[in-house]
Amino acid sequence: MWDLLIINPFTNALLWIYDVLGHNYGVAIILFTILIRLITWPLNGQQLKGAKVMQDLQSDKEWIDIQKKYAKDKEKLAQEQMRIYKERGINPFASCLPTLIQFPIIIGLYQSITRALAATPLGLLDLARSIYPWLLNISTLIPLNSRFLWMDLGRPEGIPFPAGFTLSFLPYGFPTLAIIVAITTYLQTKLTMPPPSTGNPNDQTAAMTGMMSVYMPLFLGWLVLNYASGLAVYFVTSNVLGIIQYAMMGRVNWRNLLPGAKPALSDGKKK
Amino acid sequence: MKRLKLISLVLLGAILLSACAGGASTVNSWPGLAADANNAYLADGNNVYAVRLSDGVKVWQYPDKAGTPKFFATPVLTPDGQLLIASAGTDQALLSLDPATGKEKWVVPFTGAKDKWIASPLVVGDMIYAANNDGTLYVLKLATGELQWSLPISHSLWAAPVSNGKLIFVTSLDHFLYAVDPQAHKIAWKVDLGGSVPGSPVVSADGSTLYVGGFTKKVSAISTVDGSVHWTADTKDWVWDAPALDGDTVYAADISGNIYSFGAPNGKNAWPDVQPDGPITGSPVILSDGTVVVVTESGAAYAFDRVSGKAWGVGTNIGGKIYTTPVVSGNLILVAPMGADSLLAALNNSGNVVWKFTGK
Repeated sequence: MWDLLIINPFTNALLWIYDVLGHNYGVAIILFTILIRLITWPLNGQQLKGAKVMQDLQSDKEWIDIQKKYAKDKEKLAQEQMRIYKERGINPFASCLPTLIQFPIIIGLYQSITRALAATPLGLLDLARSIYPWLLNISTLIPLNSRFLWMDLGRPEGIPFPAGFTLSFLPYGFPTLAIIVAITTYLQTKLTMPPPSTGNPNDQTAAMTGMMSVYMPLFLGWLVLNYASGLAVYFVTSNVLGIIQYAMMGRVNWRNLLPGAKPALSDGKKK
Repeated sequence: MKRLKLISLVLLGAILLSACAGGASTVNSWPGLAADANNAYLADGNNVYAVRLSDGVKVWQYPDKAGTPKFFATPVLTPDGQLLIASAGTDQALLSLDPATGKEKWVVPFTGAKDKWIASPLVVGDMIYAANNDGTLYVLKLATGELQWSLPISHSLWAAPVSNGKLIFVTSLDHFLYAVDPQAHKIAWKVDLGGSVPGSPVVSADGSTLYVGGFTKKVSAISTVDGSVHWTADTKDWVWDAPALDGDTVYAADISGNIYSFGAPNGKNAWPDVQPDGPITGSPVILSDGTVVVVTESGAAYAFDRVSGKAWGVGTNIGGKIYTTPVVSGNLILVAPMGADSLLAALNNSGNVVWKFTGK
């Protein structure tokens, strides 16, 4: 079912773009990522709005008061929180739901990129079975031209070390793309990090985001070190598009990049 | 505590995403099988196993500890008593083992290739001809594994080279069949087959003709002299691996599960409607009595007599998925399934399971 609904359509769309646009798989990945970002644009918008409402609530006086008052009575605290949600017409899942809907799309994109590369015999067999014969002639399309810039998109990226120099933990050479992925992921997380609430020292959202800004770049960089560099092209494109999208929505906090600078308030004013 | 929970969440996400990356380039395997009179040699996943033919007991395992190799290439037994194996793991090594003990024979494995090994190597005389996924044909000294020369050919080379004693023939995913002159170290001729060819050709007994399948849904007979095409015969789907040649008959199978019996002189198909129950990626295998054995992705082995009647009734269910060409040794037919309760099964000539090897 997953293959039928997600992977197969994605793989066919990706390869169709590849076929139409001069057999450059790197360009196909970039365009396909842009296409998916455009399709999920409304979901991102909803997510942002939901996140802003929840963020504003964190600095609301009544909200902070009940956190303090019922700190030792979790059941009562939950009841009071639900009351506030109901009174103000807030859906606490409004920011999560679009993310949950997007998650399969992101995973599907990720898997279709690797499937289309078909770097192993089983991978090629899977690919053959994923293709719509009325759309693509896979027998002439294979092998994909996996060269893009300095990379072979079917292999982990690395610029070879000078002769005689090796590092066992970097078997593919100097990991340029892994570093670019880590940096763009960090930038995206930092720039789109919501401002901490003004009066709530226990703001869990801010704590979570702070942690994510450290661990996600490391994790994605590690993924790129070990998997096909086509995924890295997707990550970089997706990160850059994410920053652009947030900027267009007026939600980018450029001050977050300045060391020691106080974060902006959610309404854009300085604290 | 909160920090610990957050780290746990991130780690959980990492594991999930890693699982999602399961389709990436180095994850899966494709068992390769060879046998001599005493043992079967199975390259499967991260290990190569030697399994005694008489009772299915493991003789040795390489590497004997957990390692990084990953195998797609079929092990190759050489006339001088070596077992060549080639890894698709990060080491990308081609190395020689002692078939009796599983110990490495060369002082240094060959690690000069730039990509993984999917094709098994060919031995001609005292040279090894090894086609790598990096598109290069590497020629090594059989005794030591030292690189003698190499020839960049093209795109991914997934099939073992074959030879007629004069030229080396290499198929490629780039749609071409190449003939390499080993004396001149250059390509003698090449022919466009119209689609990728992941399997090897098979050479006629007199060395004059190659029979090759591929993704164009055709089997072709090609002159070894100049690459001219003698005939082409249609198939209903891709022919994944090499056809099998038995006298004047060329047997081939496609990934829709059809089996063909082409006349070698003219390409006329004598088996228009032979189709067992699943896709076939391995080559057909001919037993000494002329019975043709095929294995299917649905996990079964089937046998057909020359006249097209089924020899084993409904076939033998082994389980899992079978992609690898079976190997015959003595009275045993060896089959290597994937995802089954065993890594290797031995059948007799009647199709009954004699023993199964589970890897332990």
